[in-house]
Amino acid sequence: MIVRVVMAGLLSLGVTVALGWAVLDRPAPVENLPDRVASAMPESGVEHPVTAVLLNFRSYDTLLEIAVLLLAVVVALALREAQPDRPEQMGLDNPLLRAVMAWLLPLILVVAGFLLWAGSYQPGGAFQAGSVLAAAGVLLRLAGGNLGWLDNAALLRAGLALGLLTFIGIGMVVMLPGVPFLTYPDAHAGTLILVIELTLTLSIGLTLLSLFRLNPPYADDPADARTQGAPKP
Amino acid sequence: MIGLWSVPLLFALPLSLGILSLLVVPKWRPRLIFLGLPLLAAASLDVLAGLATVGPTVYRLGDWAAPLGINLVVDGLAVGMILMTTLVTSLCALYAWVYLRDHPSSTTFFWPLLWFLWAGMNGIWLAEDIFNLYVGLEVMGLAAVGMVALRATPQALAAAMRYLLAALLGSLAYLLGVALLYGAYGTLSMAGLQEAATNNATTQVALALIILGLLLKTALFPLHAWLPPAHGGALTPVSALLSALVIKASFYILMRLWLVLGPEVTPEFTAQFLGVLGAGAVFYGGWMAWRQHHLKQLVAYSTVAQIGYLFLFFPLVTNTGPEAARLAWDGTLMMLIAHALAKAALFLSAGNLILAVGSPQISHLVGISRFRPMSLFSFGLAGVSLMGLPPSGGFTGKWLLLHSAILSGQWWWLIVLFLGGLLSAAYIFKVFRMSFREGPQIDRSVTPPLTLDVTALILASVAILIGLTAHLPLHWLRMGSVFGVG
Repeated sequence: MIVRVVMAGLLSLGVTVALGWAVLDRPAPVENLPDRVASAMPESGVEHPVTAVLLNFRSYDTLLEIAVLLLAVVVALALREAQPDRPEQMGLDNPLLRAVMAWLLPLILVVAGFLLWAGSYQPGGAFQAGSVLAAAGVLLRLAGGNLGWLDNAALLRAGLALGLLTFIGIGMVVMLPGVPFLTYPDAHAGTLILVIELTLTLSIGLTLLSLFRLNPPYADDPADARTQGAPKP
Repeated sequence: MIGLWSVPLLFALPLSLGILSLLVVPKWRPRLIFLGLPLLAAASLDVLAGLATVGPTVYRLGDWAAPLGINLVVDGLAVGMILMTTLVTSLCALYAWVYLRDHPSSTTFFWPLLWFLWAGMNGIWLAEDIFNLYVGLEVMGLAAVGMVALRATPQALAAAMRYLLAALLGSLAYLLGVALLYGAYGTLSMAGLQEAATNNATTQVALALIILGLLLKTALFPLHAWLPPAHGGALTPVSALLSALVIKASFYILMRLWLVLGPEVTPEFTAQFLGVLGAGAVFYGGWMAWRQHHLKQLVAYSTVAQIGYLFLFFPLVTNTGPEAARLAWDGTLMMLIAHALAKAALFLSAGNLILAVGSPQISHLVGISRFRPMSLFSFGLAGVSLMGLPPSGGFTGKWLLLHSAILSGQWWWLIVLFLGGLLSAAYIFKVFRMSFREGPQIDRSVTPPLTLDVTALILASVAILIGLTAHLPLHWLRMGSVFGVG
């Protein structure tokens, strides 16, 4: 045991030293990418360089990342389905919490909407807005709110898939004039990006919320946690 | 532009079908393969036609040039891998279509995961951008982990968890390396790196991290411990896909990056060291395969061994002269493709044998040769290629590697090729010895559906045939690489 800890410590130390050395000793970049981004900004359809990189210049990466998120939920769904079904009991049914939630929820939704809109000219965008949406869902669930509509498998899956499907669809439709995948026409780039971001926000929010909800509710009941949650060898 | 539609279809179509298979009613989920397989086959062939007529091209996504945008590379190597993936995945999908009728609980999520896996692999074959490769690895890796977990038994979940942790650690090491390279050179494109990268501490540390991460994902000895439980314990079509294709993706990235950066920035012993690890894999994997009692575990350890041969690429291609390097390239790719075909065939036919006798134990195969000759024949044909007997693809690959080793004066790799073949023969014949032993006179074994036997047989036959017609695929595979002119 001690030997393993010492070995792990030495290994971590070695990696840290190597990384530090690599970072301190790095050469100055020959390629100035920020300059290239700046000069291509007028054609990007948005005003904020991060959004331009994520949804125009390197939109293919973002598309695949959304696929990764969707995949994570698919795997979670598959694992959840394999578990024996148990009643959902998570959440405190507390009137005070509910009252606070009634105040908070509209505010959270407004913040999510603002973040989405802000993405085109300042930091913000679909990922941030989606996470805020998901946070609203998590709060609702913790406060014992009714999220029963999420049990409608068809509706949930449609919502999860919406973002990626729209993204791929737009990527394909813009090819009709004979240009490569994901080449937005300059005149409509801003609108198309906004549509993609809007659908992505909904899907990302649902994805994160589903990942939270699909966690089997073992630990709710302390007696349960002792029998089920015990670490297995 | 060549492949204007077919190139993006190669990843966009499987992604869309993956989503669609989540949305349609359960009965229609498997049937989507009859829409997807012909379309993907057509797209793959169209890309090949483009390569054969126009030569290697670059696909500029979003019409942005690298390094601002992301380029896809459509050269011989990428097209070869795409065709291999299309063939193997299609046959495994047909196999799964029939096989999963007995596993109704696993079918719901098998199909979306299969399509996502396919999209991830095609994304990796086409990628030219090292960050894009990371995202591709994540798509493929997560789908693969999900597929291992489909069985939902405690063992399967433990294997999947282990696989997930290994895959994530590998990805993170790779990503750290990518971040260092980007910080130092300001570009993520491989072509850009080839021009800009110089030999300094940053490049060395970055490359070391990338190599270590990819070795873990390829399961090269001694980093292979996650592979046998994951590959041996999964559903049969999943085992076939993982062993035949998924581990090749990280090796493929390693191969490409090595040719871009490797020889210039790594210390001289690195290539030899990778070769030595490969030799260790061949011996250890072969020995462990021979010792297994479960049929699929044997096949899984055989994968550990066969990965080793691929790593002879590094010592044979580095500073060895153009002719030896070209032979090493040809030989390694031949081994890679032959192993993909043969290992898929071996897993599928092993699955058929297990279905027939109703037990995963090798000792229960006694007398099966009398009753299920066809399942055993596919197993044998695939075994011929793994052992490296003529005229199989495995033989051609080893022959080319052997020539490369002689030409470059590295005779010690001949020992690996020779003893490795003997070890493969030992574990393949272990199965055969059991199945030819006289057993019960009455046929009590189950007959696997014809589709299962036929798909395994096709894969095994192609593994043999590719050895006879190796000239043309090897010519295509060289297009666009540094060995292209030869």
